[in-house]
Amino acid sequence: MSQKPWSQQPSSQQVWSQKTWSQKTSLRPLAAFIASAAIIGFPAIATANNGPELNQTEVLSGLENPWDMAFLPDGTMFFTERCRGLSVRLPDGEVEHLLGMEGTDDYATTADDLVCEGQAGMNGVAVDPDFDENRTVYVYSASNMSEPRTNRVLRMTVNSDFNEVADRTDIVDDIPYKPAATDHPFGDAGAHNGGRIRFSPDDGYLYVTTGDNHNSELPQSPELLGGKVLRIDRDGEAAEGNEPPEGFDPRIYTYGHRNVQGITFHPSTGQPIVTEHGPWHSDEINALVNGGNSGWDPRPNMAGREDCPDDYCGYEPNQTEGMDPEERAAYMPVTDFETYPDAMQPAWGNDGLSQGMVATEFLTGEQWGDWDGRLLVGFMGIGFGGTPVGQRINLIDIAEDGLSVNDVSEMSLPMGSARFRSIVLGPDGDLYTAVDEGSIYRISPE
Amino acid sequence: MKISLLLVIATTLTMGAATVQAADKGAGETLYADACAQCHGPSAKGMASFPSLAERDADYITSRLETYRAGEKVGSNSFLMIPNATDLSDDDIANLAAFIADIDD
Repeated sequence: MSQKPWSQQPSSQQVWSQKTWSQKTSLRPLAAFIASAAIIGFPAIATANNGPELNQTEVLSGLENPWDMAFLPDGTMFFTERCRGLSVRLPDGEVEHLLGMEGTDDYATTADDLVCEGQAGMNGVAVDPDFDENRTVYVYSASNMSEPRTNRVLRMTVNSDFNEVADRTDIVDDIPYKPAATDHPFGDAGAHNGGRIRFSPDDGYLYVTTGDNHNSELPQSPELLGGKVLRIDRDGEAAEGNEPPEGFDPRIYTYGHRNVQGITFHPSTGQPIVTEHGPWHSDEINALVNGGNSGWDPRPNMAGREDCPDDYCGYEPNQTEGMDPEERAAYMPVTDFETYPDAMQPAWGNDGLSQGMVATEFLTGEQWGDWDGRLLVGFMGIGFGGTPVGQRINLIDIAEDGLSVNDVSEMSLPMGSARFRSIVLGPDGDLYTAVDEGSIYRISPE
Repeated sequence: MKISLLLVIATTLTMGAATVQAADKGAGETLYADACAQCHGPSAKGMASFPSLAERDADYITSRLETYRAGEKVGSNSFLMIPNATDLSDDDIANLAAFIADIDD
């Protein structure tokens, strides 16, 4: 295979740094100072040697596209499989299949409206903060109950034997879903579907991440919920204190996103932090600011762009062949500071590369030694036109203000490379990761 | 002297040809691990947006790789497959097809 000169990691790292520098100098002196500090102190990605030795246990195997997990304090683990449904693994290892999707026949309940297509299906799962009292869990799933299809957030209760769910209530039923294929990479129906849901331990509200569906109107739309992070209560109503711009749906916490599939909360400040897929350049970590714009706007005929395939410029200027990620970033930035000068500043842009940055979680606990407090970021890995694939979990020392990173390193994992779809810290202090290959692993420090 | 040298060359060429005809599953396995497994999975059963190959036979794999190598689109992931297939030789394709066809479903 031919290698392009810009496919090497160091030059790619400079790509994003230079982009950030030039933007901040012209717009915000303070931001420029922060960006330059990040450049100077920016290490090359390398295996971290100052953390603990790791042990690995395969908790579950033979799964079909496991997507997310959520734990109870005793180790009970709810998990989703994207085209099958919601199940639970009990502390003794037994697995109960709770809510199946269309086409399944081995679940206690089957909901035929829950559908799987392309990247969509059943995605995130969250446990109610008051589960002991209300036995409630939530999932994010595509559904054909509405026409056209939508993504929904389902609330339901689990019985005391953990073998049935009941009382399904769809607390959000209007998250856009991509209904048909378009002329784009990964252009099938169901694309850019978001889908992570997490309760903030700080404010107790449910955060829901969505995607732009390859529909350029969604990210900056005040009413449509695609390309957003929602902040809602347990009935699906807007959370108190959301501050989107006037005229926006009050459930919107932040907007102008491309496809957010990871969210966690800073252990000391409580600030929500997301991971966002980039368009063959610049995956982003963003620390969210209430009401903020993440600056993604792939509409045609604006910001120097012309007509684009199926009215979506997200992969322009060239969506079929490899090219320098820096050129891509200049033409179609993930955070467009020129058009939106007040856009939220990304903490990190994955050295200018897009590699499937899909999951995030803070690693906390003394058992992790020097890694205590690091932000973990899971990558599925994708290479295009000579860019490195990059399947890995990164350890990131994110600045407390969320505007930059102090250090980036790579976890040395026993299982090697994989598509790290979900990473969750278990109640035992161990790290759990679901990989597309069909397994959920427990990773323990020695 | 000349005759024996020609014999050696002819024998070598024949052996080479025989190897190609049989395809080299080991070489296919190595190439699969390097270029295919990240998306199609270590056992080729497919993941996420990337289809299973485990049940495909050698003719199918060969046909698809030759189509992608020619730059022709087949399906929504053609943008990934075309550049991956561009530099494959006939031997590479035969080796990959032999390896993938031999994977148990």
